[in-house]
Amino acid sequence: MQKENIVPESRDNAFRDLIIKTPGGRNIPTCMQCGICAGSCPVNHEMDYTPRELVRMIQLGLKKEVLSSNTIWICTTCFSCSVRCPRGIYPTELMETLKPIAMSEGIRNRNAKFDNVFADVIKKNGRASEFLLISKYSISEPGMIKQAPFGLALFSKGKLPLSIDKMEDVRELDAIFKLGEKSVDKEAKESTVAKESKETAPERSPKENEGQEAEK
Amino acid sequence: MKYSYYPGCAQHGTAVDYRMSVEAVFRRLGIELEEIKNWNCCGALHVDDMTTRVALSARTLAAGKGLDVATPCNLCYSNLMRANTALEDTSLKNRVNGALASKYDGDAKPKHLLEVIVKDMGLPKLSEHVKHQLKIKAVPYYGCLLTRPENKFDSPENPKSLDNLILALGAEPVKYYYKTKCCGGPILITNEGLALELAKDLLVMAKETGADCMVVTCPMCHLQLDAKQKAVEAKFNIKIDMPIIYFTQLMGLAMGIAPKELGLDKHLVPTDKFIAKAGR
Repeated sequence: MQKENIVPESRDNAFRDLIIKTPGGRNIPTCMQCGICAGSCPVNHEMDYTPRELVRMIQLGLKKEVLSSNTIWICTTCFSCSVRCPRGIYPTELMETLKPIAMSEGIRNRNAKFDNVFADVIKKNGRASEFLLISKYSISEPGMIKQAPFGLALFSKGKLPLSIDKMEDVRELDAIFKLGEKSVDKEAKESTVAKESKETAPERSPKENEGQEAEK
Repeated sequence: MKYSYYPGCAQHGTAVDYRMSVEAVFRRLGIELEEIKNWNCCGALHVDDMTTRVALSARTLAAGKGLDVATPCNLCYSNLMRANTALEDTSLKNRVNGALASKYDGDAKPKHLLEVIVKDMGLPKLSEHVKHQLKIKAVPYYGCLLTRPENKFDSPENPKSLDNLILALGAEPVKYYYKTKCCGGPILITNEGLALELAKDLLVMAKETGADCMVVTCPMCHLQLDAKQKAVEAKFNIKIDMPIIYFTQLMGLAMGIAPKELGLDKHLVPTDKFIAKAGR
């Protein structure tokens, strides 16, 4: 990969400080770049920055590069890095912390779309029915039609019920999902959005962030 | 023995075979699993707001009513465990409790069903129920979230509980260096190419051990390795033909339960030859 020089203007200390305050970012200042996270990662070969690099980039406050990297979304949440880090950094939790922030910064890709669909289904029904999830997701991802034979194979074994699984009473869910509106991720949204509007950061086209998946 | 039971969403869909085998096996072992009324999804790995995700699991744990909360799913288990740890933070706990009708107090302990069998009941007790020694070789595959990030039940690097369970059923657990490597399940929908690559590595390595089956503890792993096995074979132009068996199904076979009652006819990779070899 072409390495670019880091110029002072690309560094955003407010972003760094914000991440360091979250549970997933707490120990980031102690990272000594040993790289066990990168070596443990089963999908590092597909990432544009390894977890080790991403941690360093946060130390440097490289907000734009961090939030637009595919690393956050390629992560399979296997926690191999997290149980091995000698500094107690949980890179997996860091990815989880960065996801909502990236989304609030306008990052749109398949993963963000699917996560939105998933959260909506849970908020409404309280449970995830595979058929409902895939149908809703397919609306914005027409390529999913290629999965129809797979769906049919599951259906023929009684593994893909078409009925919607739902809690008997979903009233508590509203309050639970409202918690998210007050959480640190939203604080992040407020602070970073405000900052970006001052800087009139270049708008990232959705397409730029979709290239992360090898076409099926 | 009695537990509050949190089945998780997959048990109502793609993991119907897992559900059948859990019911069949636990009933015979005399372990009562009382399903939590009006349970909610744990948020899997896709509800991105972590406070919300913690609250979803806090609600489940609060519904445990003094009993430990048992679950068959690695994803649910990991979310419950992580929530328990996150809620040690009093201010987060208060905020979450503000949204819950039944308050979370941290009393209920989350337990994976494998833990219930291996630790709470114990393998010597299981042996009393074994009617057929399974003369097969099996790959013990734990996946990620059973032992990570909270490594309270078994080692995150080299767990042994499933190996020991397989031994207790008369079968041979093979050496498998990928036992805790990721199957790719969480990115299956959004990045299928990469997900299948991970599954391929697991399946090829499993095949090389000469095992008759792979044993799993998670519906997501099962979907990835059983239901998607054909896709792996097609994409990489290889033949795998490796039955993927839930640990409860393996227990059921050794306990003399009919394969059909264990949902073994619901797999996408045929299990007939495996069942015959297992002596049933």
